[in-house]
This record gives sequence, C-alpha cells and structure tokens, in this order.
Amino acid sequence: MVTTNRRSLVLGGAGLAGAAALGFPRPALAQGEPLRIGWLAAMTGPSSAPTVGFNRGVVFAAETINAAGGVKGRKLEIVTRDTQGDPTKAVNATQELISQAKVLAVWGPTNSGESLAVTPIMARARMPNIHPCVVDSLIDPVKFPNAFRIAPSNTQWDDAVRGYCLKVLKVRRVAVIGDTTGYGVTAANASAAAFKRDGAEVAYQGNIDSTQPDMTPDLLRARNAGAQAIVVWSVSTGMDARLFNTRARMGWDVPIVGHPSLASGEIGGLIEKPANWDKVYAIGYRSCSYDEAGKLAPRSQDFVARLKGRVTLSDTLLWWVAAGYDAVSLVAKAVEDTGATTNEAIVKYWNGLSRYPGIFGDYTYTPQEHNGYPTDDVVMSAANSGRDGSFRLAPGYG
Amino acid sequence: MLASILASGLAVGAVYALIGITYNTMFSTSRVMSFTAGQLGMLGGVLGSLFGLRLGLPWPLALLLTLAAGALVGVVTEFVAVRPVLRSLDQHLYVLSTLALALMLQQVTAITWSTEPQPFPRLLGGFGEDVLDEKFWLPVAACALVVAGLELLYRRTLVGHAFLAVAEDNFAARALGLPERRLRVMSFALAGAVGALAGYSGGELLLAFFANGPHLNFYGFIPVALGGLGNNRGAVIGGLVLGLFQQAANFAVGGIFASVAVFTMFIVVLLAAPQGLLGSATARRV
Repeated sequence: MVTTNRRSLVLGGAGLAGAAALGFPRPALAQGEPLRIGWLAAMTGPSSAPTVGFNRGVVFAAETINAAGGVKGRKLEIVTRDTQGDPTKAVNATQELISQAKVLAVWGPTNSGESLAVTPIMARARMPNIHPCVVDSLIDPVKFPNAFRIAPSNTQWDDAVRGYCLKVLKVRRVAVIGDTTGYGVTAANASAAAFKRDGAEVAYQGNIDSTQPDMTPDLLRARNAGAQAIVVWSVSTGMDARLFNTRARMGWDVPIVGHPSLASGEIGGLIEKPANWDKVYAIGYRSCSYDEAGKLAPRSQDFVARLKGRVTLSDTLLWWVAAGYDAVSLVAKAVEDTGATTNEAIVKYWNGLSRYPGIFGDYTYTPQEHNGYPTDDVVMSAANSGRDGSFRLAPGYG
Repeated sequence: MLASILASGLAVGAVYALIGITYNTMFSTSRVMSFTAGQLGMLGGVLGSLFGLRLGLPWPLALLLTLAAGALVGVVTEFVAVRPVLRSLDQHLYVLSTLALALMLQQVTAITWSTEPQPFPRLLGGFGEDVLDEKFWLPVAACALVVAGLELLYRRTLVGHAFLAVAEDNFAARALGLPERRLRVMSFALAGAVGALAGYSGGELLLAFFANGPHLNFYGFIPVALGGLGNNRGAVIGGLVLGLFQQAANFAVGGIFASVAVFTMFIVVLLAAPQGLLGSATARRV
C-alpha cells in the first residue's frame, strides 16, 4: 500500500519546482526540426525554363548553408511544389505550404499570373513571401505587407530600356512594338506613354500577332515613320527572330532594344544569319554582365567559381541561379540574425535591409518600399553575347 | 510592298488552303469537321524539323516520314475521335471528340518537343532570294501539287470514284458493296498526309511551333466556309484570297486590326453567300 506523508509531499513538491526552474527537457522537436522554406516552382509546363534555373540556385544555397552547419544548428529544408505554371495549382500548393507544411516563408511563384492568384492568400496568412515576378501591382506594402520583390518590376525594366534609348543611343524617335498578348499590349502602351512623357517621339506603335509569319509590314511602317530605334515588348522568341531577319532583309541598320527574351538562346537557331542578331540589346543585370575583357563583377565571378562542377550554367541564365540563391539566403539570414522564426520577425528583418549584398543585386527594403532591386543595376546586354548564362554589357555604359 | 504582299500572302494562303483541303477530305467521307486539321499542319512543321534538322535526315526522306506520320495521325483520328460518334452525328459530338484529340496532340507536342518555336531546315539550301525565296513559293507549289493530285485521284482512279461515291451518299455506296469504313479510314490517312504537307511546306515560314495548331485550325477553317464545305477548289481560292487579304491588311492597318479586317470580310461573305462562294445549297429532306 502506498502511503503519502507530509515529508514526501514537500520533497516531491520541491523536486517539481526545481525541475521547473531548471527547465524540463522539452521535446527536441522544435530545435531539431528543419527550417522549412516553401518553393512554388513551375518545374514543368510552358514556363518552366526560368524555374529550372532558379531551382539550381535554391538547391545550391540550401546545400551550402546545410554543409556549413545550417542556421542556428537547424538544417534548411526546401519544400518544393510543382505548380506547372498553373495559377489554380499554385493556389492549392500555397494553401498546403501554409497550413500543412508550416513553412517559414515562401519563395515564388516565378511568373506573374500565378503570383497574382496567390499573393492575396499569403497576405491573409501574413506569410513572408519573396518572388521575382515583374507585374507592378504585385508589390504593395499596404495591401501585401508580407510580399517582397527580389527582381526588378516592369517599371524598372521600362526605365532601363528608355534610359538606354534616350541617354546612351541618344535617339529621339522610337517605334514601340508589342505582341498581342495581354502582357505585350500593356507593356507597349506603358512604354510608349513613358517615352512621350520624357519628350521623345513615338513614331510608330503597334502590336503584332506573334505567329504572323512576315514582319515586313510593321517594320516598313516603322521605318517610313522615321524610327531611330525599335523597342520590343514580347516573350515570343519566334516573333523576335522574325523581326531580326526582316530588319536584315530590309537592309535597315536600326537598333532593337527591349525585353530579355530578345537574348534567348532559342533565337540562335531561328535567325537566318548570325549577323541578324547584331545591334540587339536586351534587358540584363549589371551583376550578371561581363565587360569587354570578359570579366564579371568580383562577387559574381566568385559565385560562378563556387558553382563550377556543381551547377550547370550553359543552358540557363546566371541571374535565375543567383536570384534563387539569394532568396534562400535572405530567409536564412533573417532567422540567423533575429533568432526568431515568426512571420513578423522575418518581415520586420527584411523591411530593415539596406543594400544587403546578394549575388544578383544589393537589396534594400523599407516598410514603404518592397521593390528591393536597384534600378541602376538593370542594364542592357548585347543580346547575342550569351555565355554560360551571362551577357556582355551593351556598349555605352561607363 | 506589292511584291511582299503577294509573296507572303500567297504563301500563307496556300498553307490555309491545304488545311482547308484537309478539313474537306475528312468531311467528305464522314460528314465530320475534324478539328485536328490544324494540328496536323502543326505536326508537319514539328516532325519536319525533327527528322530534317535534329535527326539530320535528307529532306526527301524527312518529307516521306512526315507524311507517313501525318497519315497515321489521320487514321488514329478516325478510330479514336470520329468512328465512336458517327452514330449520333446530329448531336455534333464530334466537335468535342476531335477538339479533345487536337488538344491532346498539342499538349503532347508541347511537352515532348518544346514550347518555343524551333528552326525548320532550309529544304533546297535557300533557293531563291527575297520575295522569290523558297519559303514563299514552296507552300504554293505544294498546294498546286495536292490540287492536281486530288483531281487525278478523284477523276481517274477507281479509289477516287469510290471516295466520291461515299461522299455523295454513303448509304447508297454501302448498298453497292463499297467498303465504306475502309474508304473512310483511307480518306483520313490522305487528309493526314495533306495536313502534314501543309505544315512541312510552310515550315520555313511558320517554324516548328506547337502553338501553330490552333492558328491553322482557325485560319484553315475560313477557306472551307468561304469556298463551300467539301469543295476543294473553293478552299484553294478561299485560302489564297484569305492569305492575300490578311497580308494586305497587315500592311494597311497592322496586327490586331488585320485580324479584325479578316473576320469582317469573313462575316460579310457569309452573310452574302451562306453556302460559301463556290458551295451549292443542298436540299434536305424534313
């Protein structure tokens, strides 16, 4: 029979109090658990090429950080969900990452269509989100205080293209051409309006069906209108190549400036002669552009050296890999520096970053500005100079 | 400018005409408008590029393989999307079944080939320059060959006569002992080859691109409607007129408005002649 006397009760109570003061050995779950980062990746489907590049940076970052002991002793775990570029699948994956996988933060999606669908969902859950999508309205610190952009916005791209035309090429009359997709029409209209605002003349503005086999009508109209440069807003490499071929057949020596797709490797097989790709300048980034001597910026050079033998760059773009690497690093750094894993702590940390030295760029965020990529680092590249995912800086930059 | 309108207008018009003939050939023996016609054109470009460029085969062999593959897709269309719905033609279920097969063909191509336009080989090594470039006259030559070949087939051969008999009245043809089902399969194989030839001959112009399918489906249907359903001569004239009009509209008003101009013309013609320009009104027993 078990008896309880006053002494044993006091001793037991004292023991309990002591154990409580010293701290019970809590289950090692939280400490040992990995830090999970959600990754909304269109790994398959029509828009998978950038994601494949981003993913190489993501995996490399996680492996590098984990090999160095993780973040405060905890391993990073990337929870990847293939959205196939489909907004509906992205919505489901986002909800699963938030409620089931319990991730710290979400990187992606990588295209604006998906991002438009999932940004409000992440805002409701106050989930820290960082993405590279260009549509301006995706960043709004009032509506979406948790959403941050790691790459330039459409407006920043537009500024860079216009700046190159007006300040470097010193042209005053431009033709602005977009394709007939929603993006092509919107981007061409915004670009033309900005050129006019800056006092330039938009000699010709048009939208071309990207499957139109012959671009002669449009280029002829642009030439007759006196355009000194052609600004192109389209993701269609077929349309780009046809424009270059037609320009060459017309014997017109006009520069073509615009969307990053102008530098897509696919174009190499679609142009009739390699020279047709000359004098084409596509949006690029200072950190991922090499100079006349073939040298990248020191930080990028070092990054490429670290990637050697581990990550292939020949079939992707360096900026995709670098941005994926930076996104994971930014989440890890937030936990490392604050010691906290709450949504609020990560968002607050990002809001205080000033010229954070990433590989892709130096990011600056404030509570009022979540477009963190420096506009001055958006530059033009010689479109036909692709080499291991980086491009030669277009002529005219100091 | 006129030379450019003529060259590219006739070239794309010839491709549209060939797709129109594809529609007609399938329709004549089955009374089914198969929406795989445009996809056959797309496959002609993609397979031509695959055989001629990626696998490096000489162009005659690449052409032969492309036509054979097109014929095979035509036969598969008959078995999978047409035969099961023939009994309920009046319910127009073929719209769903052929559209579904067309979408499948397009998605499989996107996944296994590429979602970006791919180059198509220069077939004759760049024969001709500027507006006389081979990419402009090859589709026209292919269209002329097909029209001549079909005329020969329909007028001079027993199989051709049998095709016409089935097209005219398939019940009567069956009563006469003609193998209607086998003839239908053959006509789908023929249509598949014609569709693939459209894409192959226009490959240098349209490139090997998975998204060409819906474009060709759409613009290939207009010559059929303009020229009269089942009328190949009407389809050829309708296709060439459409190509020229489209290219002229590109010069005159530009991209988006050119499409508007094309469809305005289409609607006006159909309002004026609902049976098509060369079609004849058919009596229907009620």
